[in-house]
Amino acid sequence: MTEAATMQFHPQPQAGTARPWAFPAPERGALGNGLTVLRCDRPGQQLVAVEVHLDAPLDAEPKGLDGVATIMARAFSEGTDKHSAEEFAAELDRCGATLDAHADHPGVRVSLEVPVSRLPKALGLLADALRAPAFADSEVERLVRNRLDEIPHEAANPARRAAKELSKELFPASSRMSRPRQGTEETVSAIDSAAVRAFYERHVRPATATAVVVGDLTGIDLDAVLADTLGAWTGGTAEPRPVPPVTADDRGRVVIVDRPGAVQTQLLIGRVGPDRHDRVWSAQVLGTYCLGGTLTSRLDRVLREEKGYTYGVRAFAQVLRSAPDGTGAAMLAISGSVDTPNTGAALDDLWKVLRTLAAEGLTDPERDVAVQNLVGVAPLKYETAAAVAATLADQVEQHLPDDFQAHLYRQLAQTGTVEATAAVVSAFPDDRLVTVLVGDAAQIEEPVKALGIGEVTVVTG
Amino acid sequence: MPMGHTATAEAGSGGLTATEHRLANGLRVVLSEDHLTPVAAVCLWYDVGSRHEVKGRTGLAHLFEHLMFQGSKQVHGNGHFELVQGAGGSLNGTTSFERTNYFETMPTHQLELALWLEADRMGSLLSALDEESMENQRDVVKNERRQRYDNVPYGTAFEKLTALSYPEGHPYHHTPIGSMADLDAATLEDAREFFRTYYAPNNAVLSVVGDIDPEETLRWVEKYFGSIPSHDGKQPPRDGSLPERIGKELREVVEEEVPARALMAAYRLPEDGTRASDAADLALTVLGSGESSRLYNRLVRRDRTAVTAGFGLLRLAGAPSLGWLDVKTSGDVEVPVIEAAVDEELARFAAEGPTPEEMERAQAQLEREWLDRLGTVAGRADELCRYAVLFGDPQLALTAVQRVLDITADEVQEVAKARLRPDNRAVLVYEPTAPEDAADEEDEETAK
Repeated sequence: MTEAATMQFHPQPQAGTARPWAFPAPERGALGNGLTVLRCDRPGQQLVAVEVHLDAPLDAEPKGLDGVATIMARAFSEGTDKHSAEEFAAELDRCGATLDAHADHPGVRVSLEVPVSRLPKALGLLADALRAPAFADSEVERLVRNRLDEIPHEAANPARRAAKELSKELFPASSRMSRPRQGTEETVSAIDSAAVRAFYERHVRPATATAVVVGDLTGIDLDAVLADTLGAWTGGTAEPRPVPPVTADDRGRVVIVDRPGAVQTQLLIGRVGPDRHDRVWSAQVLGTYCLGGTLTSRLDRVLREEKGYTYGVRAFAQVLRSAPDGTGAAMLAISGSVDTPNTGAALDDLWKVLRTLAAEGLTDPERDVAVQNLVGVAPLKYETAAAVAATLADQVEQHLPDDFQAHLYRQLAQTGTVEATAAVVSAFPDDRLVTVLVGDAAQIEEPVKALGIGEVTVVTG
Repeated sequence: MPMGHTATAEAGSGGLTATEHRLANGLRVVLSEDHLTPVAAVCLWYDVGSRHEVKGRTGLAHLFEHLMFQGSKQVHGNGHFELVQGAGGSLNGTTSFERTNYFETMPTHQLELALWLEADRMGSLLSALDEESMENQRDVVKNERRQRYDNVPYGTAFEKLTALSYPEGHPYHHTPIGSMADLDAATLEDAREFFRTYYAPNNAVLSVVGDIDPEETLRWVEKYFGSIPSHDGKQPPRDGSLPERIGKELREVVEEEVPARALMAAYRLPEDGTRASDAADLALTVLGSGESSRLYNRLVRRDRTAVTAGFGLLRLAGAPSLGWLDVKTSGDVEVPVIEAAVDEELARFAAEGPTPEEMERAQAQLEREWLDRLGTVAGRADELCRYAVLFGDPQLALTAVQRVLDITADEVQEVAKARLRPDNRAVLVYEPTAPEDAADEEDEETAK
């Protein structure tokens, strides 16, 4: 006897008529100082998002000073020619604003979010930070020490530890990509305010920067606000820098980072593949979603919903760095954590999923559902100004046209099952994957060796 | 079907409105129109959380939430996920102390599907629930526990501090994830009984927000949910009320393999839904939210004894809320140094209250957080359900920010003076051990 007995059931309803939606097209312009500006009016979005891309990539960091871009990014909010560090933080909070900055391979990104009523004031603070950062000795010293304090926390986190090891394995030691984005104890210790200022002077200027402004701009004279704020930032021009090619060693092998007593094994399985400039990108997005985009994708259907080995395993592509000529690259990876006793069995199943996919390909219904999801969720995904601004800024730093995302949705809808299969099989070949496992070597080493997915080495730390 | 009133926008609501309705079976429905984007959010709050669980069955509400995605009479296996995602929607469910929520955000033209799916499982889950999905989701949830709590540094701090803050036997003594032993002990019959007791239309609030036609939406709601019978087996949760102050400091020292020393504490604060709880939110914001807060300025900027320092507020309606302090030490700094500085700052704040500038900053920060929460249809749907379930009035969601802006500096000082004191907190101190020590300890435990 269940309560269901008396409920009246109805057939599954059919969809109504879709209301058209398109990824917003920004208006592109430039200020007198050379700063490129993308703006996009999103009615109703009272929280305005501003993203600034600075052409200060990690490979521009001087030798031995890995982390200087990170310290510079953080130091932007630690005082200007008008405010001390404490005053600057107070002024930002007074606007109800958040300001974050981080350094990555393509450059430094500074992200501001603020209620539209306080946009002019917050843009003024952002402009001060970029135009006249104080980089006071004492503040930089504090940021360096703070960064050194963070490193052991990252090493203790299984996911962060796995990412660090995978980069070290994949890329040649000479490549900046092989080393932690935010530096090591040794390199961070060597950073001082002079190094930060030198990096700033060499790589930060309006002529090579782009600002993206998204939100409800009704009634805002954005040109006037920009002229008063980011327009006051000055700087010269720069020679284009050569972009080093990305090379990676993806011979199939396994590295175990030993964590005695760990109740789970963190897994990160990856290699390097094409970025958004490649024609295969849309098919790769589609195929990767079918492999591991959600809990109904192939990996979780087995590892989670059939076997219960994990809370979830995902496959994804993350752009590392792009170049205008299309020589950039993305990290292709599978990540998740599985319980320690089932580590061998879970990896065995994971490889079976990859081999079955290569042997049999995706099905048409699988492809259809993936397209419907990837294209259908766009209006949800881009409801907020912050989401739109982040994607527009990603396109800028990856040297893509402003209509890339809009075009991608059209391409996805036209991508067939065969193309998606070819792309994902080529992205995740079962014999060209580097596997990093952060877990209890005493328990997982033998079962993993038995799988034959490559030579197994164990490291500590 | 009795129709509720149509609200006109109230002051401080940012022009948002919501209407309320109730079906004959007791299901409360809240609708809010917004046609800016062609999306609609469906949110369903069941008035059941971990506070309703009984001894020996901690984690059952959350495990049950997973089972809600394992199919119902007309939805097979993972069909709920597959259909929503295939329609271009996103979805999930979460479990807290006081409620379990389920939500779908859909492109407008797929709204009816989400309502059909939610109704199908509300009315017929038990016809599909079996041992196989129970065993599978038990393993998934145990892995969720390992991933989020057991296998990360400080991962069980929340659980430990909650257990210290609410006495043994109190409904909030344990957290929603539950213990491994209880997750192992849960039976299929427990899950069935849980459904029969709590998953009734008269124990739920449904909100639909976004690009909707309210009349059509209400017709669909009536069509799909209207015939689900109500039932009244539910016992009210055990009383969660406690004295305003703990009366003495409670303390636990944890020796574990963590990367740095840490000082965490939970202060007993006023229940959510009161002016005093908004005042407490402002006090914690001034003291410990963001990089212009008193604790950040003192510990991270000036003393340079901490790598992070901040306060958060866990708002609870059925028991005292918790003011959550989290400080990770810098280098070799010892915990008593941090603790003395924190106590000094709290005492100074209680004595002086916030400055006008601090009030302005804290109110601006909380206003931004509200804009953020109400800026998406899904966020708005969740808040409407929250105020309907916990406080009986969804309209309160739309005026929440105005209530925060109405709080005075005196009220902030008053709550700080009364509550943010050493005799009103549970303290958790982390002292790192070397890896070898940790391994030894673990062997001892296993040997017991």
